[in-house]
Amino acid sequence: MSLQLLFDALSLGGIYAIAALGIALIFGVMKLVNFAHGQFIACAVFALILPSTDAVAALGLGLLPTPLLILAILGFGAGLAVAAEALVFRPLRNASPVALMVGSFALGVALQNLLLVLYGGRPKAISLWAGLVAPVRIGPAEVPLLQLIVIAAVIAILLALGLMLKRSRLGLEMRAAAADFGMAQLLGVRANRVISGAFALSGALAAVVALVMVAQTGVADVRMGGQIMLIAFIATVVGGMGSLPGAVAAGLAIGAASALLQAGLPDAARPFRDAFLYALVIVVLLFRPQGLFAAADAKPRV
Amino acid sequence: MAKLGIHDLAVRYGKLTAISDLSFTVAEGERLFISGPNGAGKSSLLGAISGAVPAAHGRIEMDGDILSGLGPERIARRGLSMVPEGRRIFGELTVQENLMVGTGIRRDRAAVADDLETAFTAFPILRTRAQAPAGALSGGQQQMLAIARALMTNPKVMLVDEPSLGLAPKVVDEVYDRLCSLQALRGLTLVIVEQSSTRAARVGGRMILMRGGRIVADGDAAGFAAADLLSEAYFGDPA
Repeated sequence: MSLQLLFDALSLGGIYAIAALGIALIFGVMKLVNFAHGQFIACAVFALILPSTDAVAALGLGLLPTPLLILAILGFGAGLAVAAEALVFRPLRNASPVALMVGSFALGVALQNLLLVLYGGRPKAISLWAGLVAPVRIGPAEVPLLQLIVIAAVIAILLALGLMLKRSRLGLEMRAAAADFGMAQLLGVRANRVISGAFALSGALAAVVALVMVAQTGVADVRMGGQIMLIAFIATVVGGMGSLPGAVAAGLAIGAASALLQAGLPDAARPFRDAFLYALVIVVLLFRPQGLFAAADAKPRV
Repeated sequence: MAKLGIHDLAVRYGKLTAISDLSFTVAEGERLFISGPNGAGKSSLLGAISGAVPAAHGRIEMDGDILSGLGPERIARRGLSMVPEGRRIFGELTVQENLMVGTGIRRDRAAVADDLETAFTAFPILRTRAQAPAGALSGGQQQMLAIARALMTNPKVMLVDEPSLGLAPKVVDEVYDRLCSLQALRGLTLVIVEQSSTRAARVGGRMILMRGGRIVADGDAAGFAAADLLSEAYFGDPA
């Protein structure tokens, strides 16, 4: 039982962490809270099926063999985010952070309505990877295969992202730009390259979340990005805005808290699980308003 | 031909004029100090040359090519590097990572490795602390890192804004020592903002005295300490 709880907590928290990273990456580099991230997720879900307002979804990209399908959806997410940056956020580059944030809201609403026009408002069933819900026995616990895949994928993504940020040229430039964009430019770092790179990574992470959500729920719904976007945003705040390890830690913590509350609350209180969860968030922020891992800026030293 | 040419430069922030009608040239390999009271426009001048601050009017040239309007990323590629006021070290990056940020504009990896070795030889403390977070260095060490970091872009012209700010006099001596020997080694053209004219006179070079966004005197730094030009610039009637 407790082992089962651990897998629940890890898989849920892992997805929250991936979603939170997508937001923290962009905030770190250009101080933009991208409220359209949830719609990036929704768009990546709908990219699997063909546009139509019928109740039953016809697979589009979803017909590809699984490895190709994953690559195609990751590429779609990255491309969508890069295009959004070029068309919406680049013209606003020198605007105030508030203008950027409002721009991201507008982009999110526009994307959501685009999905409504193309696909209609009713949720659609997507039958992909139905076999993945089959349980696997691990000691005393029965764990859906999907959970194991999700946990493995999250670990692989975190390792790859960490390696990329630490070892690659683009990663170095992204970290320098996140610390002091103007100084990085004075050293010849190209702003467009760094920002496009951050958006591409963020969009690919949104696509990962989309794939997991489709596999878990078997549904495409225009609203499905909203709830996870909210939790991911809370995770970036709790983790400390702009701190990538903070976003991951807080995402995992919120997922774990959510799974623990689900299992530990008495039946009568269970419908109010999220109220308890957000109360916990308030308590954490009362004691650490700057977040758990506030990005420590380089203080001038004498 | 002058290495660096400033012609009729003006910099404005909204309605505030920081610099107006500023013109001077810097010869290749020269060491030029810019001095003057707070608000004289010294940092705005360096900002305009490096592309960080837009010029409202005028023209900035390096080797006859126009730099003004290019923006900092492209100006850095032309071979002009900046050691900014307050050093602006990337505190969470390691010392070596700080040094490598500016090498993205270079293609010759072997030359980059050579320059890293040169930087480590000139500033041995940076080699010792290469893998430490740069934010953990002392102020003087951070100033050395900022200079070494600017050199890693392989500049022909280097701008240095207030390298002595907040440092003990002994450390300032050391900073200027290294700066001058690196200048000789690399054939650099140096433009240094320095508040203290006695310091500039001791290091040696040409000096431009600014006040209210204009040049009030231009000559050998050693001559300034003797003349009354300084007190005039700081305390006299505005021109």
